[in-house]
Amino acid sequence: MLAQTSIKIKVRNLFFSYAETAVLKDLTVDILDRSITAVVGPSGRGKSTLLSIFNRLWEDIPGARMKGSVHIHLDGTDRDIYHPACSLPDLRRKVGLVFQIPNPLPMSIYKNVAFPRKLAGGSSKQQVMDAVETALKQAFLWEDVKDRLREDARSLSGGQQQRLCMARALVVNPEVLLLDEPTSSLDAEATEIIEQLILSLKENCTIVMVSHDMAQVKRVAERWLELSEGKMMANGRISAPACRAR
Amino acid sequence: MAKRMIEKCVTAFAWLSGLLLTASVAGLMGYVFVKGAGSLSLSLFFGDTAPMDALLFRRQVFDGIFPAMVGTLTLVGLSISIAVPVGVATGIYMAEYATGRTKHIFGLFFDILAGIPSILVGFFGFSVAVFLHHQVSDRIAPCLLISALALAFLVLPYLIRTTQTALENLPRQVRVTAPALGASPIQTIFYVLLPQSLSGIVSGIILSIGRCAEDTAVIMLTGVVATAGLPSSLLSNYEALPFFIYTISSQYADHTELMRGYGAAIVLLAICALLFTLATLIRHRLSDHLLYGGR
Repeated sequence: MLAQTSIKIKVRNLFFSYAETAVLKDLTVDILDRSITAVVGPSGRGKSTLLSIFNRLWEDIPGARMKGSVHIHLDGTDRDIYHPACSLPDLRRKVGLVFQIPNPLPMSIYKNVAFPRKLAGGSSKQQVMDAVETALKQAFLWEDVKDRLREDARSLSGGQQQRLCMARALVVNPEVLLLDEPTSSLDAEATEIIEQLILSLKENCTIVMVSHDMAQVKRVAERWLELSEGKMMANGRISAPACRAR
Repeated sequence: MAKRMIEKCVTAFAWLSGLLLTASVAGLMGYVFVKGAGSLSLSLFFGDTAPMDALLFRRQVFDGIFPAMVGTLTLVGLSISIAVPVGVATGIYMAEYATGRTKHIFGLFFDILAGIPSILVGFFGFSVAVFLHHQVSDRIAPCLLISALALAFLVLPYLIRTTQTALENLPRQVRVTAPALGASPIQTIFYVLLPQSLSGIVSGIILSIGRCAEDTAVIMLTGVVATAGLPSSLLSNYEALPFFIYTISSQYADHTELMRGYGAAIVLLAICALLFTLATLIRHRLSDHLLYGGR
């Protein structure tokens, strides 16, 4: 089974620490392409850290150190994302991250979603408009906002803001989407929409999400990875072959 | 019991201090307004010259504060436009790029710079002018440009420190938003960090405007004179309101003349208020439109 499904993210002998505190110890894991993998475990055991390792967002934290290797299959080739030649902006467009608390920028809905395209440059106005529309549709938000694209994004509800952040990550067609407890600040109804959204995104993306809620993990994820004491404890299997542990 | 007493005393003291400060500011402004309101007239501004002629720069004003107002506005405008780019850029460097020892040493220097008495800065500006006069061209003497440069130097540490603090106080959540979307460090600074810390930076600019508008020690040594008319070029002498107030209050011949000093003080306060409002308006426009290219 495993041999047939391609591996998207390959983590080998990963060690991570903040100053003197070791967070991850000798983690080796494979994450499969176009799957939804949940990362679970008690607080402070490196779940969010693991996500930030996949897009190198931890690097400006003073005292943080990492050892080991992370390869992600991007643009059809296997890439060592910690290789000096790896472009950070490029990596982060391919590996999108949605934070726990929705973080729209203080500008309009349209500009928020168009922002990553603007950063990347090289697209015409029409291309950006099309991409924004597609991303908002993918994030189940188009119907809610199509008539108010010029309004301040902060006027949206919490659930809508989180979907806006997902659309903003999707607008540059990422291959991997990292979700850091995307529903923890939302009510039940908004959570349900986001869960459906995550399931629908699986067709195009490899999704890695951190969650505290085991019921949610069972509803959404195909595989789960439990981090405890800085090591992978369990290598859960819900409906499909799971990632491998050492 | 004793603890509660101490707490009450501290609260009362804090209240009193706040009240005292507010009362002194109100008292000071009230005093200046009451004294000076009577002298506010067209002749205070333009003397014997017809106002329209003065405003259209057709005739020089000799007996009014109009040239001093123009001088102060030009001086503040020049100093701020020299100091803001340098100060903000240095603040960005300190907050976003400098690390470890370099940051520590630079920070120490900026604090020392902030503590230098303004008369020393003026004296330094004067020495530079004398040096240039001898070495470069005898057309260079203490003038508007030298004053503006010296004032810019004086306010740089405020601008650097406020920019640096405003940037450093941004929460990590804001800081990582743009990089996570593929922004380069420079894009992050210009699209997210600067717009989000604009209010802090603008408060530094407002502080600097006030400092430039009121400083007398620096300009006394670097080019201000009692009667010069409107400044004709960057290399000419000029008049300024704080210097006018200083000369009038130290050399007044009669009561009416002293009252003109109070009138000039009101005008100086009004100019500062105007510049502060302008700075705040620019801030709103900047954060709303320029940096994000409109909503």
